[in-house]
Amino acid sequence: MNQEVKPFKWIGTRQIRPDGVPKVTGTAKFGADYSLPGSLVGRILRSPHAHALIKSIDTSKAEALEGVKAVVTSDDFPNQNFEYIGPERVAVNFWHMTRNILAREKALYEGHAIAGVAAVDAATAAEAMALIEVDYEVLPHAIDVDDAMAEDAPLLFEDMITRGVEPAPTKPSNVSKILEFTLGDMAAGFAEADEVVEKDFKTAAVHQGYIEPHACLARYDADGQGEIWCSSQGHFVVRALTAKLLGMKLGDLRVNPAEIGGGFGGKTVVYVEPVAMALSKKAGHPVAITMTREEVFKSSGPTSGSSMTVKIGVKKDGTITAAEGTFRFQAGAFPGSPVMNACMCAFATYDIPNQHTVGYDVVCNRPKAAAYRAPGSPISAFGVESVLDILAKKIRMDPLEFRLKNAADVGTSMVYGPKLGHGGYKETIKALLDHPGYKAGLGPNQGRGAASGYWFNGGGESGATVHLNADGTAVVATGSPDIGGSRASMAIMAAETFGFDYDQVRATVADTTAVGYTHVTGGSRVTYATGIAVVNACKDAVDQLRARAAMIWEVDVDGVVWEDGHAKPAGSNVGDFDPLSLKDIAAKMGATGGAIGASSTVNAGGQAPGFATQYCDVEVDPETGKVTVLRFVAAQDVGRAIHPGYVDGQIQGGVAQGIGWALNEEYIYDDKGRLQNAGFLDYRVPVASDLPNIESVQVELPNPNHPFGVKGVGEVNICPVMAAISNAVANAVGRRMDSLPMSPPKVLDALDNRSAEEL
Amino acid sequence: MPTRVVFSSSLSDRYTGGENDLEIDATSMRGVIRALEERFPGIGEHLEEETSVAIDGEIHETAYFQPLKDGSEIFFIPKLEGG
Repeated sequence: MNQEVKPFKWIGTRQIRPDGVPKVTGTAKFGADYSLPGSLVGRILRSPHAHALIKSIDTSKAEALEGVKAVVTSDDFPNQNFEYIGPERVAVNFWHMTRNILAREKALYEGHAIAGVAAVDAATAAEAMALIEVDYEVLPHAIDVDDAMAEDAPLLFEDMITRGVEPAPTKPSNVSKILEFTLGDMAAGFAEADEVVEKDFKTAAVHQGYIEPHACLARYDADGQGEIWCSSQGHFVVRALTAKLLGMKLGDLRVNPAEIGGGFGGKTVVYVEPVAMALSKKAGHPVAITMTREEVFKSSGPTSGSSMTVKIGVKKDGTITAAEGTFRFQAGAFPGSPVMNACMCAFATYDIPNQHTVGYDVVCNRPKAAAYRAPGSPISAFGVESVLDILAKKIRMDPLEFRLKNAADVGTSMVYGPKLGHGGYKETIKALLDHPGYKAGLGPNQGRGAASGYWFNGGGESGATVHLNADGTAVVATGSPDIGGSRASMAIMAAETFGFDYDQVRATVADTTAVGYTHVTGGSRVTYATGIAVVNACKDAVDQLRARAAMIWEVDVDGVVWEDGHAKPAGSNVGDFDPLSLKDIAAKMGATGGAIGASSTVNAGGQAPGFATQYCDVEVDPETGKVTVLRFVAAQDVGRAIHPGYVDGQIQGGVAQGIGWALNEEYIYDDKGRLQNAGFLDYRVPVASDLPNIESVQVELPNPNHPFGVKGVGEVNICPVMAAISNAVANAVGRRMDSLPMSPPKVLDALDNRSAEEL
Repeated sequence: MPTRVVFSSSLSDRYTGGENDLEIDATSMRGVIRALEERFPGIGEHLEEETSVAIDGEIHETAYFQPLKDGSEIFFIPKLEGG
């Protein structure tokens, strides 16, 4: 694909966001804002136990209560085959998924959905839930990943045989799968090293922390068709999963995208939608379900907690000779953690000839893990970038110079097979080496730490349509829910392609009947893939505009060119015609053949990965153990920023979430496996006063495979954060923190009880 | 047109009896997959449905319709999903 070489008029400008006014005035409609005449209130009864057999569920008293219109259990859902469908990392097993939507034989975590109730109001629904009698037999549980892997751990599935091992084990365990990647000769690589560091790390499971809880309205009609209004990261995926779980045809289910109050990966799956639809089918009324915050924490996916071991060898001149990582990830109650990504991303920023990564996907009595911003990569980066920091000190090399010396570039072999097709990493390091703050002095108890990260970025399936209006304006509709500013980006790319003003374009998010299949807003794929679909559709419309001008001028279409939003004769031999603007041609659409519009669907490839390098300054209070981040500088290769303001927002948002992951966020369970901090008061996400100025440094190396050079920017910014902060803490107080979060009690414990200075 | 196809160990263990580095004569990915299916029955559907493909370092979500150059290096890798 040829990239535009002329200067851009709209690309790279900070336009006003089209969703701004509705959001600040409160008229934007989120998942919980939809209602229909006769709507019922849906609620979900959840397990109070971390692990229990469900011996029986008696709903008769609830169903008899006045005002209750329907009660559903797993009996109201069709059986699903036990099979992994789809690609390895994202393989879906609907036998598992239907059991996560409503438990069957067992409750596998506190908060596991047991039954749904639809009633005329919330009080009646709550009363009905109290009347449902569930006979549980409580079982021993396993919360921590290492506990779940222990020989005598209680089994979540008594017949689970680890996949990925030859020959297959004969004994069941909680290890769902083991996977492995190898490059080169590990023994030879470590033999070459002058310094080898091996270290264990643990990271806590953390929630995506979106402000808007899961919410939907569902209506099942008498003719077997249904409609859903919900906030999600992909309404086509909501349609696909809900239809499969309920045995509906895709064409019989329409899903309408609501505005979304944050997702970060956590809204790429379904929780309440199939239950609401099943309740509506039974009640004959629309049903709305909105999770409480407690339900969000106890029942929707966090990312995995982990334990890992990282070993890296280096020569005295700074050359890394070998690197090895073993990553053990909590999948939650059902298989499917992002451990494969962790294995693939762990050393992807470095040119290391000998690498070996092993991943364990482990079930435990927690909610099923869901995607979270570059899923898997930030976790392995914490261990890898911490060990690299120790090694840099051992060989007395600046940590950024050390990374630059070993940086991956075009042609570097990746542990998962191919050679790297795009660069950009070195430029992020150089940007920080040149940054004025990197060599600035520090005060007592202060330290500076640096780290890097890698993320694949996505392409894939997207659909877009564009229609011109008679007044010369355009409507661009895509299937990508707008989480990070995609409407503004799509409008900018459309305006640039048409050659007219940004405010002439209205970008919208269309429902599943109005635009071609579009995969989730996730994987940093939308500006790239949906952007290509939008540009393709706009180019098609431009060709139609040229054809209409040719018709008006009575010349061949090849004699008409499109420049700066106008049809012009291609040369003096075509004729002497005044240019026709888009508005001029649009005004004559009816007379020249009818409305002008175009659709495009793509399965976009050729996406370029994301690289980020960051440094931060921290101060540790030796009395309390509190870590204050004083400054954060985040460099990222952004390809070409379509809307630099939104790119800043992505970088700052990723860093802010990483600071929470690094310093405070964790799930705290009691000895019965019950979550003790299921609310924002006790689950401590960073607030504005916890955060420093986060300076984004946008490095632009355009991707030639996109018409405007786009690379995904949404995720890689979270990958280095935890290691950068940990490295800064080590430099501030001489304690190497190997467990997240680095909360005040842990830091204080390290200061008080570990007397030796640590690298 | 000769191309080099490399499989991960999980793919080669499952479909090719451990053979993981092959030369395939084809001008398109469709041709590569057809040739592989003839040699290793069952692998074609897996490659089309369940893998991404890296052609000379460029990752594509789908293997089916990508063009090739003489000597292209092709890796089939697990499909990826982000947040």
